[in-house]
Amino acid sequence: MSGFSFLEFLQQIINGLTLGSIYALIAIGYTMVYGIIGMINFAHGEIYMIGAYVGLMVITGLSLLGVDSIAAILLVTLAISILVTGSYGWTVERLAYRPLRGSPRLVPLISAIGVSIFLQNYVQIGQGARDVSMQPVLTGGWRFGPADGFQVYLSYMQVLIAVITVAFMTGLTLFISRSRLGRACRACSEDRTMANLLGIDTDRVIALTFILGAALAAVAGVLVGMYYGLVNPFIGFIAGLKAFTAAVLGGIGSIPGAMLGGVVLGLAESFASAYLQTEYKDVVAFALLILVLLVRPTGLLGRPDVEKV
Amino acid sequence: MNTFNRHALSIAAGMTLLGLSGLASADTIKIALAGPTTGPVAQYGDMQMMGAKMAVEQINAKGGVNGKKLEAVIMDDACEPKQAVAVANQIVNQKINFVIGHLCSGSTQPASKLYEDEGIFMITPAATNPAITQQGYKMVFRTIGTDDQQGPTAGRYIATKIKPKKLAVIHDKQQYGEGIAKEVDKTVKAAGITPVLFEGVNKGQTDFSALITKMKKDGVDFVYYGGYHPELGLLLRQSREQGFDAKYMGPEGVGNKDISAIAGPASEGLLVTLPADFSADPANADLVKAFKAKNEDPTGPFVMPAYAGVQIVADAIKGAKTEDAVKVADYVRKNSFQTPIGKVAFKDNGDLKEFEFVVFTWHADATKTPAK
Repeated sequence: MSGFSFLEFLQQIINGLTLGSIYALIAIGYTMVYGIIGMINFAHGEIYMIGAYVGLMVITGLSLLGVDSIAAILLVTLAISILVTGSYGWTVERLAYRPLRGSPRLVPLISAIGVSIFLQNYVQIGQGARDVSMQPVLTGGWRFGPADGFQVYLSYMQVLIAVITVAFMTGLTLFISRSRLGRACRACSEDRTMANLLGIDTDRVIALTFILGAALAAVAGVLVGMYYGLVNPFIGFIAGLKAFTAAVLGGIGSIPGAMLGGVVLGLAESFASAYLQTEYKDVVAFALLILVLLVRPTGLLGRPDVEKV
Repeated sequence: MNTFNRHALSIAAGMTLLGLSGLASADTIKIALAGPTTGPVAQYGDMQMMGAKMAVEQINAKGGVNGKKLEAVIMDDACEPKQAVAVANQIVNQKINFVIGHLCSGSTQPASKLYEDEGIFMITPAATNPAITQQGYKMVFRTIGTDDQQGPTAGRYIATKIKPKKLAVIHDKQQYGEGIAKEVDKTVKAAGITPVLFEGVNKGQTDFSALITKMKKDGVDFVYYGGYHPELGLLLRQSREQGFDAKYMGPEGVGNKDISAIAGPASEGLLVTLPADFSADPANADLVKAFKAKNEDPTGPFVMPAYAGVQIVADAIKGAKTEDAVKVADYVRKNSFQTPIGKVAFKDNGDLKEFEFVVFTWHADATKTPAK
């Protein structure tokens, strides 16, 4: 390989940050649920997949109706996808997890795996097992660098992904730290029994957690649909695995940790692909996870007292 | 007492059903069509099923085989090696003697062992990995060429027509994709071109931006991709986005309409090695008309090979005057057959004696023309 190029390095950072933003959005759902009820919601990847499908359908529908303003398409799609996917999140919690509250830890975990398989097959039957593809809605971008050499390319879509991710993360952080419901969330996360005794409706808080997680997964789904343009009923599995890794890497239960974990994972994959072989990107990503866990068993930003319930 | 009655009833019902299905199958010859009808490469399964079903219909319309009708039984392996073994077991259990399939090399290989062990006749219209017929099996055949024919065809085309300054070879780490990529690699190296990059991506991967950036920086001007269309489609689309304008080439696994649905304008000019377009052969005009009458597209690369597979099975059962799969396999090995893919004869290992791959240029509207 030829030598190091700063412009290529910059491009790889852009690639990694885009990928990492998406991982982070999905990772939030894992981390919030874990932080509050100490359960890994394995169906979360499928919730994201549903978000992507709804996004694709709405975008296709809008373009049939002749809507061509990017802002309008984006707002309507995000709103509908969040609404639909959020209600899936709520329903899953209500039907598959709430009845099992108070049972041993493994029971809801198995229920989650069941929901994951159910949703995958449900979408497969309803939408077909084929890939659904869509042409890009937002194309173009900026190019920097010498006209005859390597040019860094930053697409509008990548900027949009970064902006939307930061906006939703900031919104979530403010919601958790400032609002009444957010305070209730934090209380439940610290001690659910005590919160209950103090008059917080913990069931409601848990339902809210699932809706919020699903809403962010819907955002990720819509962005992925617009960016890559390819959706099938199986995308939730790999995305879920990566996002779960990001959540653990950052410290499961910690919201800033999930964001950091996502970005670190995205960058690690990008750099491994760039400076080693593409084959090794997952090896590097997971080796990094093991290393971090060896040094900091609670993840990058995890709290040491995470073991509870 | 009550429970006993219920059980007795269901047992009786079950026995009746079993009896009925036994009766129904007595006067047909079952042929399993094993391939993906779901999953990311189900499009190819459609081609296979379409061709095979047409053959079954036409043979039945002419009175069937030895006075019996053929019956197609579709089995979905989703191109998953594990599911393929489960499907093969089902075929064994249902005592079906003939299999048209499987489609993906990765699922054909593990399934073929069961067929060999159980004495079931298997003919794949699509799996091109050479290893499948190198196992010393007696029951395994194919009506398509192999990657050690297809890879060199692509490699020679690259070396003589394209003469790239910097060639990259990418594959999906699957038996089919990596196998063919290695053949291309070998052929171009023999012609004096050393790829600057030989790397694998993940099946199901959606983000190729890091790899594209690397190829762009290294000044790659031609990329060979060994694998299937979902990954290549995204690779093409993201390459165009990033302003990486190298030309791409792929094997028959990327040559279907979905590559254009995914990559859009970026699929224009893609080079694909495919079996010759049998539907353009004047000898097949009537057959093409029959497909068109059913609103089906006979131009897919596996349609005619699948048709040929069924026809060979039928002709061999007729010729050998038995439904014994082992004897049918013997007959197939010793004789030649007139099929829509031409007059075919088999080598001892089950490969076709002759099969030709042709380089096509793919267009954004999902059509193809022979490459110059």
